Amino acid sequence: MSNTDDIRWVAQVALLGDKTAFDKLTCKYQSSIRRFFLNLTVGDAPLSDDLAQETFIKAYLNISTFKGISGFSTWLYRIAYNVFYDSARAQKHYDDIDEQVIDNQHHTLNEFSAEKMDIYKALKILRKEEQTAVLLFYMEDKTHKEIAKIMNCPLGTAKTYILKGKEKLSVYLTQAGYGN
Amino acid sequence: METNETDNMLKGFFGEQKQEIADNGFSKRVMRKLPEQADRSWIVWVFAIIGMLTTLFLGFYTGLFQNAQFVLPRIPVYYILAGVFCFPLVGTIGFYFTQNKHYRLI
Repeated sequence: MSNTDDIRWVAQVALLGDKTAFDKLTCKYQSSIRRFFLNLTVGDAPLSDDLAQETFIKAYLNISTFKGISGFSTWLYRIAYNVFYDSARAQKHYDDIDEQVIDNQHHTLNEFSAEKMDIYKALKILRKEEQTAVLLFYMEDKTHKEIAKIMNCPLGTAKTYILKGKEKLSVYLTQAGYGN
Repeated sequence: METNETDNMLKGFFGEQKQEIADNGFSKRVMRKLPEQADRSWIVWVFAIIGMLTTLFLGFYTGLFQNAQFVLPRIPVYYILAGVFCFPLVGTIGFYFTQNKHYRLI
């Protein structure tokens, strides 16, 4: 499924209110958006699904504002980024979640928990902006330019987030013996 | 550690952790939560009928249809192209200005 399909489906939703076309967009992008949230929330599957759901509903309501300058995927990640930060601001205590609670969530709610512990521990050493930039770059294969658009920041700032995140992760993973 | 080495290490690390998440009813839940919006597919039919009626009217009124075999070969191609593109273009512009809702900027 190409970007041309995306544009066609977006046009059908925006002009005709065609929900079937939006369903196709949801099916295509649900995995990457949910994975993005799952990593940003360090494994909180119910919360990441709620945030992903909110992202798709906002995308549906605002689809007429999609200009097609950047790809639909970039636009969707931009909404996801805003949804996540709105949510994080609303729950100030979010950063202080007890590690034990996260561990329990991994074991009870997330089938990939065992293998994912490393990545969550690694991501926790980064600032939220660095986490977002690093995840978008290394996991979601976004370019620097796309990341700057998603995070609504200058290109240089996006590059700095990635660089700082990279340095911290490099030290962490080397100390943890990864790659040896 | 060299930058390329670090890049490769991180790409490998994140690549190993990358998972495809099965839908498991997620899309259906999203579809159920979508707010109802009026079905606007009638717009297609309205413009199609307007276009057809206008063509028929102009065709008979100007005698184009009655003398088609003499007139058609003399019509410049760009007149025909302009005629073909006129309706969807006007329709789209009209729709944009009348129906486009300005939601809060994301």
